[in-house]
Amino acid sequence: MGYASTIKVPFGPQHPALKEPEHFLFECEGDIVVNVTPRIGYVHRGMEKAFELGTYSHDMYLAERVCGICTSAHTTCYTQAVEELMGVEIPARARYIRTIIAELERLQSHSLWVGIVAHEAGFDTLFMYVWRDREVVMNLFEELTGGRVLHAINTLGGVRRDISPDAVLKIKGGLDYFEKRTKEYLRVIKTERTFLKRTSGVGLLKPDDAASLNAVGPTLRGSGIRNDVRVDDPYIAYGEIPFNLITSDGCDVLSRTVVRTEEMLESINIIRYALDHMPAGEIRVRAPKNAPPGEVVSRVEAPRGELMHYARSNGTAKPERYKVRAPTLANIPSLCKTLMGVHVADIPIILAGIDPCFACMDRMLIIGKKTNEKRYFTR
Amino acid sequence: MLAYDLFQLIVFPGALFLFCLAFLYEWVDRKFFAKVQNRYGPLYTGTLGLLQPVADFLKLLYKEDLVPKACDRNIFSSVPIVYVVLPLTTLFIIPISGQTGLVAFNGDLIFVMFIFALMTITVFLAGWSSMSRFSIIGSVRSALQMLSYEIPLGLALIGPAIAAKSLSISSIVQWQSANATWGLWLQPIGFGVFFICMLAELELVPFDIPEADTEIVAGWRTEFSGRKLAMFRLGRDLEIVLASALVTSLFLGGAQPLGLIPPVLVFLVKSLFVVIMLSFARALFARFRIDQMIAGMWKYLLPIAILQIILIQLGLGV
Amino acid sequence: MSLVGEALKQLMRKPSTLKYPSEKATPPPGFRGLPIWDMKKCILCVLCQNACPPSAIKLIGKGQEAKVEYHLDRCIFCGECVDACPVDAITMSGQYELAGSDRSIMVLCFGKEKPVIPVKNAP
Repeated sequence: MGYASTIKVPFGPQHPALKEPEHFLFECEGDIVVNVTPRIGYVHRGMEKAFELGTYSHDMYLAERVCGICTSAHTTCYTQAVEELMGVEIPARARYIRTIIAELERLQSHSLWVGIVAHEAGFDTLFMYVWRDREVVMNLFEELTGGRVLHAINTLGGVRRDISPDAVLKIKGGLDYFEKRTKEYLRVIKTERTFLKRTSGVGLLKPDDAASLNAVGPTLRGSGIRNDVRVDDPYIAYGEIPFNLITSDGCDVLSRTVVRTEEMLESINIIRYALDHMPAGEIRVRAPKNAPPGEVVSRVEAPRGELMHYARSNGTAKPERYKVRAPTLANIPSLCKTLMGVHVADIPIILAGIDPCFACMDRMLIIGKKTNEKRYFTR
Repeated sequence: MLAYDLFQLIVFPGALFLFCLAFLYEWVDRKFFAKVQNRYGPLYTGTLGLLQPVADFLKLLYKEDLVPKACDRNIFSSVPIVYVVLPLTTLFIIPISGQTGLVAFNGDLIFVMFIFALMTITVFLAGWSSMSRFSIIGSVRSALQMLSYEIPLGLALIGPAIAAKSLSISSIVQWQSANATWGLWLQPIGFGVFFICMLAELELVPFDIPEADTEIVAGWRTEFSGRKLAMFRLGRDLEIVLASALVTSLFLGGAQPLGLIPPVLVFLVKSLFVVIMLSFARALFARFRIDQMIAGMWKYLLPIAILQIILIQLGLGV
Repeated sequence: MSLVGEALKQLMRKPSTLKYPSEKATPPPGFRGLPIWDMKKCILCVLCQNACPPSAIKLIGKGQEAKVEYHLDRCIFCGECVDACPVDAITMSGQYELAGSDRSIMVLCFGKEKPVIPVKNAP
């Protein structure tokens, strides 16, 4: 290994801390990281090209499969974009059902993340408990939509399944249990000394840096900046539902954890309000097959942050160009900034701290054979 | 007589018995850990998955044994054997089936401490010889960890020795049964310190820093596979037996006969209790960082251990 | 140490996991499992074939010989075919153990005469 002053520690593409193949090369002096080079592009799936090949109604299911955990955020974003292109107004009840599903998804995604961060800190028991109680939400999904992970409930022009009064009671029962458990885990997160030692003061991201490096979602809100698409640019039914925007100004992994956990509690309130105030009526209108020429950008607050879809149509049944900007991609620059000067032992927990979902964000990477020059296709 | 000695050494309470005990304790640990986490744990191999550790061991034995090109071959292939032999040897000292160990001698408590240091050095060599970045980080961490917990461990071991006025584990056990008391009641602080040190020695959460699986893959064990990994797992299981046996002997009265119950059963019950406590402790915490662990050990554990020694001396002086 | 109470409670509780191959979870009604064609109702309108995003459905033949060829390996279980069917001939069953290691046996045929024509040992 020679006698270089720095030692290069590779994380990935296969590493137990990363559940998806992505590569980070850390240069460490002793136990301190002095440089980090990310290399993305291992799981590029050619999704954007695939969008251009399918019709609008079939692309729905492709959008659902961009991410395995925020499936309904992607379909909400997709339907929003395409409905805007087609000029379709969806019924009010459908908007509420979409909101309920989106918030339920936030619950399962955030509790999944709390489990993962506990696991990265070596706190396996909390991980098991959180994931056990996450099953409540998953079972609700199974009941409501017929699928635990891929809900397939959003469709162009509305939603495919209605929420019956029976199901409303079931959701409320599930939420009561889940709320109790979430409060308990919030207590554990805030009081367990070993966990606090690993998370508080770790992975500092200053508010200026977070803003200038365009961090999104709970990473940004964990740095004390009020930013949430649900509030700033209300979509579906969020404009009609009162809720609080959660921020925390610890700027560290702990405050990101707290933001997510408190957001779960807030989501529970949103779902309760939406269930009580759900208007009656149609759940679906017919959407046309073709979209008139035009282009549209649609924004959604996915569990991981701001998600952006762009669509351009040329009057046929297929989009001419479709682009997805997943929240993880926006969080990578701030992540690299955060990783400077941390201990090697803290790398996994900081990496997990942005709730990475690498497959959603992966870009095509071309490496020049002779010059070893790298080019990412991000546009 | 020689035949009986050989039987004692190889079958009961020697190597074979200890191997069975190692597998049993691994099963207890996994099962209890799973129970705390609201899972089943091993279930299908044998009754209640009792044979799962054996099955894992056998499976690893005939898996492919990969040796990295860059490694130091001699050390790399000898370290796993040393890692099994060390705790096994030490277990012969500890009284299991009677009030004296198989090879008890005066001063074997020092020998135990020596073995603990040697085990860490073995671990260090294991990581160092495999020449992988993760292994080296892991082995350096394990050496650092030893530097921090070794002195409190030594002080906690000395406590019972001062009380019993002997450096032999067998005589400490005999002293406890003669005075009808346990080390735990006389020096609860020492027991706590020793327990924490054992968590660190066994590399259990919150001190599983050298092999933190989410940080450095498997730490010093990363490059080992097949037979060598099987040996390491067996060595780890024997270490758990050793730790629980030591806690039992020094603080819980050891293998005292209790009425008609043979001492070996008393020993088993007590040490099983220790294993359960270890596995409960590892379920409750998150992992420390190495610098936090070293600072904590020197700042808090060492003064507490010294305080215990002072208290013992005061108690004896009065 | 703030997890002690919770951890002690678990000792009295039954594990929340299932002993999977022997104990199986029953999916709720409305679960999107393996789709089944009722060929007595089917009017061979090809709407399901057109609605299917991954083109997992193929209609072959005419009249009494006609059959629906369903490719399990392509199916994404979205349920669009069920929505598209004008005569409700398609239902999604609760069957969910559909994984296999051989793509060639993952084709199911539903015929007019024989309700299900299994291909070798299809699930």
